[in-house]
Amino acid sequence: MGDGRAVAGGGGGGGSNRPAWLQQYDLVGKIGEGTYGLVFLAKTKLRKSCIAIKKFKQSKDGDGVSPTAIREIMLLREISQENVVKLVNVHINHADMSLYLAFDYADHDLYEIIRYHREKLNQPINQYTVKSLLWQLLNGLNYLHSNWIIHRDLKPSNILVMGEGEEQGVVKIADFGLARIYQAPLKPLSDNGVVVTIWYRAPELLLGGKHYTSAVDMWAVGCIFAELLTLKPLFQGAEVKGTPNPFQADQLDKIFKVLGNPNPEKWPTLSYLPHYQSDQHHIQTVKYESSCLHSYVHLALKSPAYDLLSKMLEYFRIDPLPGRNALVPIQPGEKIINYPARPVDTSTDFEGTTSIQPPQPVSAAVAIPGSVAASSVVPPRAVPRPISMIGMQRMPPASMAAFNIASQAGIGGLNPGGIPIQRGAAAQGHPQQLRRKDPGMGMQNTGYPQQKRRF
Amino acid sequence: MAANFWTSSHYKQLVEQDKIDVVHPIDKERGLTLEEFKLIKIHMTNHIWKLAQHVKVRQRVIATAVTYFRRVYTRKSLTEYDPRLVTTTCLYLASKAEESTVQARLLVFYIKKICTDEKYRCEIKDILEMEMKLLEALDYYLVVFHPYRPLLQGLVNDTYKMDLILIHPPYMIALACIYIASVLKDKETTAWFEELRVDMNVVKNIAIEILDFYDFYRVESFKGMAESFKGISDEKINAALHKLTPKP
Repeated sequence: MGDGRAVAGGGGGGGSNRPAWLQQYDLVGKIGEGTYGLVFLAKTKLRKSCIAIKKFKQSKDGDGVSPTAIREIMLLREISQENVVKLVNVHINHADMSLYLAFDYADHDLYEIIRYHREKLNQPINQYTVKSLLWQLLNGLNYLHSNWIIHRDLKPSNILVMGEGEEQGVVKIADFGLARIYQAPLKPLSDNGVVVTIWYRAPELLLGGKHYTSAVDMWAVGCIFAELLTLKPLFQGAEVKGTPNPFQADQLDKIFKVLGNPNPEKWPTLSYLPHYQSDQHHIQTVKYESSCLHSYVHLALKSPAYDLLSKMLEYFRIDPLPGRNALVPIQPGEKIINYPARPVDTSTDFEGTTSIQPPQPVSAAVAIPGSVAASSVVPPRAVPRPISMIGMQRMPPASMAAFNIASQAGIGGLNPGGIPIQRGAAAQGHPQQLRRKDPGMGMQNTGYPQQKRRF
Repeated sequence: MAANFWTSSHYKQLVEQDKIDVVHPIDKERGLTLEEFKLIKIHMTNHIWKLAQHVKVRQRVIATAVTYFRRVYTRKSLTEYDPRLVTTTCLYLASKAEESTVQARLLVFYIKKICTDEKYRCEIKDILEMEMKLLEALDYYLVVFHPYRPLLQGLVNDTYKMDLILIHPPYMIALACIYIASVLKDKETTAWFEELRVDMNVVKNIAIEILDFYDFYRVESFKGMAESFKGISDEKINAALHKLTPKP
């Protein structure tokens, strides 16, 4: 109460039914906005640690706590791994029935890092950094998959990277709003409707596959890997808007152009996929004979990096990947990159109301060693971590061994054809327009195609 | 977690029987006995089962709902958290957690249809408010493991009329069910159990608890249905629930 200013970010009045838990935070400002809520940056009063608070709006249609929030709470409450975002607290404001999830705050995400290299630095991300980022991403994903959790919305903006502090340079997989446990599902996974943002959506999903596996996450990782190398999305298809789940011809064409047309020989279950049968002229007409992926990503055909990437982008891919595909060490660079900090809108309070005062410019570009040198990617800890040079070489047997059991990818079935519920403000800019609001807490972002969800 | 019970919150939250058989001080003040507390829990478990059959959800959703329900009352009082609304909301929340969402309005509709007692009725808004309270009461732990994977039986269903799911790992409950079944059917399983290298004393204790339960409530068979509980009369339940109603 007495500290209403700090808590409400200068919002002033309306503090009558402010819950007590708010007292433990100092609100810094709004860092993101999405269809299901707002994301705030706050500091804990006690330890001054930075927290990202995701506020879920009250549901309008009498359906209570959104399934998205339930999934995040339920999964993140159980799991704990250094490459998965940490849910530190859940708060409820009974007065307005809103729900707040408090996460450890990460300064960066792959979307911003890629953009910074593309637009500001005009130079690729050091290969060593790419390798470290990818390794950590796979490390987190391996943990999720071995715990029967499928993420279903991996994309650069959902892959966070910790800024200055104890965990500097550590990758955190975030946004579990579409994730679910796929061990013994009571209802088919396809009941959740369209999954994965279009540019990162696996071909079996684009072809209407109903029975998919954790291999859809692996495809997305492949797309992210290529994007880290080239600084632009690998398959930048134009999304066909509409419901339910329209056929995404352009997205598939973009994929075929790079990887060559699929055929039942390369992909045994292809002919069972609904769109393969119904949209024959699109898919069965072989326009592109063979893969030219290596030239797209500027990798030598025989390089281990290409070998790994091509396995991730296999039409009939298996997850876990076949072992011993880790990248061989690349000489680390020496330059430290100062990635800019996330912009904060300090004029918005927890209720989402904007005060009159203009947004203050963020403390400009907090100097963050952007990870190029090995020592700066790795948090300064006594224990050597697997992303160090030596660790990388030793990595394959230990971490990739888990990527060894085959699971089928994309076995076709009938398209359920339910009606996806388009979430509120889902209408955004065209995928090609690369400007965004999204701070990477998995919220909506202008520019990138957005995942539509239904439940 | 989903793959590993031993790292799950469910495992970490397992408690001893004597921590569960405690009537909340507030309920005690109103004269509720431990016996009545247990009766209400059995009755409400049956209520969840009945309601679930109307809204047509899978077995595991029901089991999760019952587990939530029983967990809530290891922490909260029946007086403050009306068990009639809590059961309904537990089913609602469990359906979401198990990716088989049932709409709140459907639950409201079916309760009106199947419950003659007006005290069971509620509005959508009541369920939604209670949902938030339950999330809090459950400390946001929603993943629950069940003994079903090894065994889908009426016997397992009946174990949810006790608090076993809060005390023992699901596989031990499943083994106890197998043990009872093998004894009843006169099947020789000693060697089989020996190979499992589990603590047979624990398995037998759970089995005895289940049999005692049947004995005590004079359950006539392993039907798992409310009707089979001959020992529980409506009067007893109503008398127990009546104690909780605030006096003018």
